[in-house]
Amino acid sequence: MPWMSPLLQRLLRGLFFLLVVWTAACGRAERATSARGQTPAQEPSSLQTVRLPMGYIPNIQYAPFYVAVERGYFRQAGFEVEFDYSFETDGLRLVAAGEVPFAIASGEQVLMAREQGLPVVYVMAWWQKFPVAVIAAEDAGVRTPADLRGQRIGLPGLFGATYIGLTALLHHAGLTEEDVILEAIGFNQVEALATGQVPVVVGYITNEPIQLRHLGYAVTVLPVADYVNLASNGIVTSEAMRAEHPDRVRAFVHAFYRGLQDVINDPDAGYQASLRHVEGLADEDPGVQMEILHTAIAYWWTGDTPLGYADLDAWQNMHDLLLNMGLLTRPQAVEDAVTNEFLP
Amino acid sequence: MSAWSHSAPRWSPPSRRYELASIAFGLLLWWALARFSGLPAFILPAPGQVLTRGWDALRSGLLLRHTWVTLQEVVAGLSLGVLLGAPLGYVLAKSRRLERLFAPYIVTSQAVPVVAIAPLLIIWFGPGMVSKVLITVLITFFPLLMNTLVGVRSVPEELHHLLCSLGARRWQVLRYLEIPAALPMFFSGLRIAATLSVVGAVVGEFIAAREGLGFLINEARGRYDTALVFVGVLTLMALALGLYALVRYAEGRLLYWQHRDGQTVVINPGPR
Repeated sequence: MPWMSPLLQRLLRGLFFLLVVWTAACGRAERATSARGQTPAQEPSSLQTVRLPMGYIPNIQYAPFYVAVERGYFRQAGFEVEFDYSFETDGLRLVAAGEVPFAIASGEQVLMAREQGLPVVYVMAWWQKFPVAVIAAEDAGVRTPADLRGQRIGLPGLFGATYIGLTALLHHAGLTEEDVILEAIGFNQVEALATGQVPVVVGYITNEPIQLRHLGYAVTVLPVADYVNLASNGIVTSEAMRAEHPDRVRAFVHAFYRGLQDVINDPDAGYQASLRHVEGLADEDPGVQMEILHTAIAYWWTGDTPLGYADLDAWQNMHDLLLNMGLLTRPQAVEDAVTNEFLP
Repeated sequence: MSAWSHSAPRWSPPSRRYELASIAFGLLLWWALARFSGLPAFILPAPGQVLTRGWDALRSGLLLRHTWVTLQEVVAGLSLGVLLGAPLGYVLAKSRRLERLFAPYIVTSQAVPVVAIAPLLIIWFGPGMVSKVLITVLITFFPLLMNTLVGVRSVPEELHHLLCSLGARRWQVLRYLEIPAALPMFFSGLRIAATLSVVGAVVGEFIAAREGLGFLINEARGRYDTALVFVGVLTLMALALGLYALVRYAEGRLLYWQHRDGQTVVINPGPR
């Protein structure tokens, strides 16, 4: 365009590039809106492919999901589920943005996400007891939470369920972070305890204690759930899904409920289903894996409330703890963050 | 052939027009995407939100505290990388036998992703600053070693012969020939290492830390504070750019003879 000045040409090229990028972004937003609206034009008989963020690596603890897939519960509910083993926080963001309809997340994540404006709601409790535990070397002399005073405690970092669970335990014993020495050791709790780097670590009741005992290390375990009732992992969806497609939410919750019930009634079926979804599980000690599964089952259902029921007292405890820790900066109405309306 | 002069011409900073225009365009693009794409703030916060969050973090001391920790790790790791990489590069340049002896370890140290080896370093050396510095050293010493090696080997043999014929001792050959000859390549490696050093420090902080920009980003991510994540990332970028600029400045001062009277002067004149 010889009649146009070089500056004007450069400006136009820049604007054109901006337009291309904007169009691409708008297309993405449109797809997100469509996902939020969910199946606006699908036949009832067709399956909706659902990418389900799990929040952890493939593990036998996901047996209820694997059973629900293997026995066709999700398909009967109209879902083709694909497991996505990405981080818990990413899963909640995807739900809030309308990119995926459901995710697995813990109670504290839902409350913190809602404070930042993420429109997510917890619709079914998978774990009714908080699975975090403090694990101490036998000779560390830790028998009660009060014995943690002055101890060096290793945990993955000053974030997440382990940090929150430890804080709850310390508060229960009338202690604060200043009364202990915290060390961020990454997800190396077993190695740190085994090598004597720290005498006490924080982990999950279904993981580190079992691993350490099978490696021959004598440990004492303080499950947080024995002292404090806190909200734990469950199914999360978006406010939009709850309002616009309650039938889809109910169907998904019921499908998972069936899988959960089946594994509680028949843990071996859970193990068998997990063999087909967890690579390398067949090479692991079946005895250890079944111990993990049985321990998990005891935390999935307390027997005091119906299966899948989210205890509002546990949620209020979690809310108050987060507020006390400064992880929430203002109070929330927990009844807005959780519902049991979709349970069978 | 004269490779350098005794009088240092005045060093002047290069024109910043294009860099500033590029940054301005990037900010405009970011604003436009945040404003018109329909993406919520927890996915893509607007520049204004990030600025506000950053100002809050600066005022409260949060940002400075974490930046200082990362800066210490970066400087310590980069310095150790230089102290290890450059001398080792010189030694290997002078001995092909030693080069072949060390080659498997040097190559594999770079082939293994640092995110895979970082947890092991943290287990072996603890979650403190030592492991972060070691991760940084691991990531920076290779470009420094290789560039020093190539720089020393690039000295033409006839210049060695010339100095030897003039009765130069070994340290004089090192001081007046090999070091000046290797400096351009060394600085080239140092520029790469300077930006990589930030990556090394942050990888370690992501895995196990109580402080540092990597920890801050991780913590902000866990609290869905995306604006603070952006603040952390932008601070890391500024840190990397600052180090890069510092190296370029030092390079400009020490290698002034390379660009003299508008022409580039090189040591090796090429084949006759």
